[in-house]
Amino acid sequence: MPEALSLLCRVPAHPESRCWALAWSPGGALLASCGGDRAVRVWGRAGSSWTCRAVLGDGHQRTVRRVAWSPCGSYLASASFDGTTCVWKRQEDGFECVATLEGHENEVKSVAWAPSGSLLATCSRDKSVWVWEVDEEEEYECVSVLNAHTQDVKHVVWHPSQELLASASYDDTVRLYREEEDDWVCCATLEGHDSTVWAVAFDKEGERLASVSDDRTLRVWRRYHPGNQEGVACSGTDPTWKCVCTLSGYHSRTIYDVSWCHLTGALATACGDDAIRVFEESPTSEEAQPTFSLTAHVPRAHSQDVNGVAWNPKEPGLLASCSDDGDIAFWKYQRPEGC
Amino acid sequence: MADMFDGIVMAEQRFHGEGYQEGYAEGSHIGIAEGRRYGALHGAKIGSEIGCYLGFALTWHCLLQKCTDEKSSKKIRALESLIGMIQKFPYEDPTYDKLQEDLEKIRGKFKQVGGIF
Repeated sequence: MPEALSLLCRVPAHPESRCWALAWSPGGALLASCGGDRAVRVWGRAGSSWTCRAVLGDGHQRTVRRVAWSPCGSYLASASFDGTTCVWKRQEDGFECVATLEGHENEVKSVAWAPSGSLLATCSRDKSVWVWEVDEEEEYECVSVLNAHTQDVKHVVWHPSQELLASASYDDTVRLYREEEDDWVCCATLEGHDSTVWAVAFDKEGERLASVSDDRTLRVWRRYHPGNQEGVACSGTDPTWKCVCTLSGYHSRTIYDVSWCHLTGALATACGDDAIRVFEESPTSEEAQPTFSLTAHVPRAHSQDVNGVAWNPKEPGLLASCSDDGDIAFWKYQRPEGC
Repeated sequence: MADMFDGIVMAEQRFHGEGYQEGYAEGSHIGIAEGRRYGALHGAKIGSEIGCYLGFALTWHCLLQKCTDEKSSKKIRALESLIGMIQKFPYEDPTYDKLQEDLEKIRGKFKQVGGIF
């Protein structure tokens, strides 16, 4: 089993600091990282190793907690504990900060771009989720402030193809939002976790959602549309999300991040026990009650908590991880025989 | 024979009981008065907050009346949405089950609209 996930390279990305998050560019050639040193770094391949191509060091006054690339790959957004979100535009010789989004009352925890590229979402310790719209003149405007959560919101992520937004919170729930008549509304609340939900990820089709929590479980939720043949009740025209699988007993500490590979369907988790785990759907898995099995487990992937994992969007099996130890690690995943 | 002493023997318990009843009644009375004061204060606070948002929205709505460009109509629509939410709010019903939820929606709308100006 140790062979399933093998280390390719380890890079001291944010020395003497934590590396909080990672994001692959849509083309898969660049990896952005951010950390407690208040900087964003962009990495590119150099032979069998990875080198730093750019350092975006003067955008924030405090820790940068998350980075996200726009779908077109020309912009990078960074969310910081200083309460702001910066938008950086890719130039020939580096990146230039073209906008600073203000409004949150305290630490911004996450940022994500919608598949259309014209919407951005941010979330904060102030319990709110903000939706921003960008126009052709690169002007950003807040179109909605959503106060649905009752505690710190940790993560926001968009559906892969629809304008549907998901958020994860310290209040133990995942919430979904969509636009309704010029305003954004919370259209679903996913309850089930017993503690803080740290991250969520949609699968390739967007009919399933994976969530990971402080309760040490990974849950898979499935969307049921009104009039579905399984007889799951829906209120009005909104689909219902039901938990169809709970993976417990695999993680010995809080799970901080999850990444669902859109090429292979594999799920990777980042855990507070310094380990990285990969799960794949079993061949005998049923749609209504899917089963996943652990196909890889690296117990000491990092020397401290693993904060983030991200599958490369173009190269199957290429996984990047980051940790409180300040490193980024690159891994090669090969699905074990008989899985 | 036992009944004669009953009054004396049970006196302490009886006095405890009576004292408790009197205290409970007085406590409820004071509690209601305090609750009423707190409710009035809290209600006034919320009223003041919402009133402030309404004043802001009505003023800007008035100021933008003459503007017909696309950006302004967007602003006017946002203001009208906020005004609508505030006017729809049931001020006379403190037991309205979505009170907190609707209040948060109004606060969120004001934050978003406020950002535009």
